[in-house]
Amino acid sequence: MTAVKTTETAAPAGGTTPPALPPALTGGARKRRRRGGAFDRALPYLLLAPALIAILWLIGFPVVSVFVTSFRRLNLGELVRGEIVWTGIDNYVTVLQDERFWTVTLRTVVFTVSVVGVSVGAGLLIALLMRVLTPWVRILLQITMLCAWAMPILASATVYIWMFDQNYGILNKTLVRLGFDQFAGHSWFGSGTSTLTVVGLLIVWQAIPFLAFSLYAGLVGVPRDLYEAAGIDGASGWQTFRAVTWPEIKSLLMMVTFLSTLWDFKVFAQIWVFKEGGPSGESTTLAVLQYLEGIAKSHFGVAAAISVLMMLILGLITFQYLRRLLQTEEGKI
Amino acid sequence: MAVSGCGTSTNSSSGTETKEITVWLMDGSAAPTLTDALNKEFESANGIKVKYEVQKWTGIQEKLTTALASSTPPDVIELGNTQTASFADQGTLMDLTADASKLNGGEWLGGLKDSLTLNGKQYGMPFYAANRTVIYRTDLFQAAGIAKPPTSRAEWIDAINKLKAANASNPDFQALYLPGQSWYFLLSLLWDEGGDVAKQDGGKWTGTLDTPQSKAGFEAYKALYDASATKKAPADIDEAKPQQMEVFGTGNVGMMVGLPWELAGAVKAKPELKDKTAAFPIPSKKAGSFAPVFLGGSNLAIPAASKNADAAKKYLALLSSKKYQDMLAEGGAVPGTSKDTSKLATNAIGKAMADSSPGGKVTPTTPKWAAVEAGQNPLKDALTAYLSGAKSLDQATKDASEAVTKAMG
Repeated sequence: MTAVKTTETAAPAGGTTPPALPPALTGGARKRRRRGGAFDRALPYLLLAPALIAILWLIGFPVVSVFVTSFRRLNLGELVRGEIVWTGIDNYVTVLQDERFWTVTLRTVVFTVSVVGVSVGAGLLIALLMRVLTPWVRILLQITMLCAWAMPILASATVYIWMFDQNYGILNKTLVRLGFDQFAGHSWFGSGTSTLTVVGLLIVWQAIPFLAFSLYAGLVGVPRDLYEAAGIDGASGWQTFRAVTWPEIKSLLMMVTFLSTLWDFKVFAQIWVFKEGGPSGESTTLAVLQYLEGIAKSHFGVAAAISVLMMLILGLITFQYLRRLLQTEEGKI
Repeated sequence: MAVSGCGTSTNSSSGTETKEITVWLMDGSAAPTLTDALNKEFESANGIKVKYEVQKWTGIQEKLTTALASSTPPDVIELGNTQTASFADQGTLMDLTADASKLNGGEWLGGLKDSLTLNGKQYGMPFYAANRTVIYRTDLFQAAGIAKPPTSRAEWIDAINKLKAANASNPDFQALYLPGQSWYFLLSLLWDEGGDVAKQDGGKWTGTLDTPQSKAGFEAYKALYDASATKKAPADIDEAKPQQMEVFGTGNVGMMVGLPWELAGAVKAKPELKDKTAAFPIPSKKAGSFAPVFLGGSNLAIPAASKNADAAKKYLALLSSKKYQDMLAEGGAVPGTSKDTSKLATNAIGKAMADSSPGGKVTPTTPKWAAVEAGQNPLKDALTAYLSGAKSLDQATKDASEAVTKAMG
């Protein structure tokens, strides 16, 4: 479609130049040009087409498949026998009628917002800090963060579980040593809020390196003379940040916030390895709920319905950003 | 070719030549001596290689789901007796009713046979059964002046206190290692008090964890948990994470409620424990009798989509023979396809098991039970909430009962 459009717009554009050419050549050149132009313009798209189709299929197929599956009854039996049983919106009714779904949704949204807020805030602070550090301290900090970033999810989760262990964890032992005796044998996973706080801490720890590096890259791009000018005008640190730094990194900050939201909303592994969504299901988020329904109970149709609902909720959360993104493309910002 | 291949299932599997079969057995189910001999004999007799893989119990339900849905599932799988019905109900297992005679069908263990029978058809072959006993350290009992193993719950708690007193100098000592979510053991206490998990009424299952009898079972668990040690096991872990045999193997533990293979694992890690351990049946609250135990066990099944069903059946037939069943019994398990348990009573843990297994019970035999065990088990949640004080007994059991009703409804 795009290819066709481009060739059509190319023709009149080509038509405006010929008058500058000698009259004798105009007719032939015009003809050749138009044909050559059309082909030349279409060529990149034709060359891109196979890759584009492959990517669309790779990305689009699972999405379509999930959507289609959400209208099927697909349990282990149907899956093994290869049966296709359509159930209309039954799966959605099942999910939406379950009062647990709404609790879990609310919990997921609160969890996502807090984790994203804390991690982006901490990432920004570290990025700002990195700019004023002496080079070797900065390099040390960067290496430390790279190591944290490179650590596999499950490995770091296991370390966190050990640190917060009830009887032998270093945290409880340290707190007792400092005189807080009530932490002897304290269970950090005794309630959903407490469990999710520890999980959130782990996710923030894992997310900071990426955020700090990205934002630091943005900060480095801010021209030095702007700060000099602000300094001459007698701006305070906060005023400099508001007037100089903020406008420059605003769009970058919005992008990393958007990405963080996507990642943190669907986080599963960390929550699952801690307490499998427990105790009493109090740390169950939508991703965990989907796993429980889909894999543990083999109701793949219901799990697909949860996935579609998750996409909708995520769309709602990021609606503002998506709208601005589209506006930017039309050149309004 | 294509036409003959689409014929009956027996034709299709015999038509192609099988070079290898994949066998999945569970961690701790059969001793390597048995499986090595079995695989070797099968390979030389049939010229078919056996790809033998040992699976972990943690997360097996999910792993089996994925494996059974694939086009090349393993050819022989081991299923827990409480899981079998749901997998059979979904049509994922091969109907072995017609082959039972070749698999020593006349000697199948009743409790396991029931667990693999659905609508009068058999979807597997019993493998072995085992039940939990209290495994204890004879040397520590002696040192604490406990003359003979306890025969009632009161005596048991008394023994726990004596052990604690005798080992007071060791801050990490646990007279009884009892993690908060040992729910198979909770079943024993529930049944001992006359309670149960669920009851069936006109085809509908309802949770019965909040009856006075069931609550008494929970209270008994708490009494034992509170007494178990000064530095108790966490309330929010089960006996598999960490493996309780590893904890027992540290030497700081006087007793654990466990299966024979768990003791074997502890002994393997610390050989000197071999002569210092024995077992007694879980005591009842009524002096002199035993608490009903959960009859754990495994069945062997052939996935419906197996490409090598004929070879897999031969493998099962070989395993069902007396030679290997005797080896199972020697290893400390009740054999699934042989009524001869004389080999079992030769060791202390086998004897304790043989004593209590006649009074054994199972969880509801319905395909719907799997939904209770899979994922977030309400019994475990109730135990943790009650033991840690997050919920009152009434609230915890009420919530669990409702969750069971919902999962089985």
